[in-house]
Amino acid sequence: MNENRRQILEMLSTGKITADEAERLIAALESGPATTVGEHMSSIPGSNGAAAGTVKTRAKYLRVLVEADEQMTGRKGPTSVNVRVPMQLLRAGVRLASLIPAQAHSQLDEALNRHGVPLTLSQIKPENLEELIDHLEDLTVDVDSRDVGTAKVRVFCE
Amino acid sequence: MTPNFAVLGIATPTRHMPRLWIPLFLLWIPVVLLSPLIFLTLAAVAIVTRTTVWRLISLCWGILSGLPGTDVRVHADGNHVLVRVL
Repeated sequence: MNENRRQILEMLSTGKITADEAERLIAALESGPATTVGEHMSSIPGSNGAAAGTVKTRAKYLRVLVEADEQMTGRKGPTSVNVRVPMQLLRAGVRLASLIPAQAHSQLDEALNRHGVPLTLSQIKPENLEELIDHLEDLTVDVDSRDVGTAKVRVFCE
Repeated sequence: MTPNFAVLGIATPTRHMPRLWIPLFLLWIPVVLLSPLIFLTLAAVAIVTRTTVWRLISLCWGILSGLPGTDVRVHADGNHVLVRVL
């Protein structure tokens, strides 16, 4: 058995990573050039990369996973949405915000604040996005309610 | 690199459509033909937003170049929809 594969299976058996993460790691090992598990571990959000000697790589995509049950959506069977957005597109989008006229900024900020988003648009710059990406290793939002059902939202970089 | 293909896949519980490969690179033909009109539109937008045409072109190019790799998959009611930009 390949050494990297063995290492992944050991991490799975010790509970350091989930079955999904193990699958992604194995897929990455099979598709990518010869690298160590540690290098691939950095792409697994929430995993203890340090344990495997992580070499931090630059995230290329932002992935948003939404899973909702029948009760939440009112549809037959579970509903899932899986969106992968390239970071380059996000950066371009942030730059696009610079086209918003200065006089419109205050109105937009006010409207955002009114809707519970305390954000100052003029302060969002590509550098801020990089900081956000650096800190956004794994964000999971669980929406659980007895009345409306269960949904899981997961946002991470890969 | 600008997007060359878009892949569209739709599957319902009763019908499974083969994946549709849409050649986006062919869109360059109408873009080139309509370039004077596009340039005039960009100039108008540049005046309104108080920026330069070159900056606008750079922003549009950035968005266009960022599109490859976009992947959207939706599964609901037994229906699958896949949109992928390559």
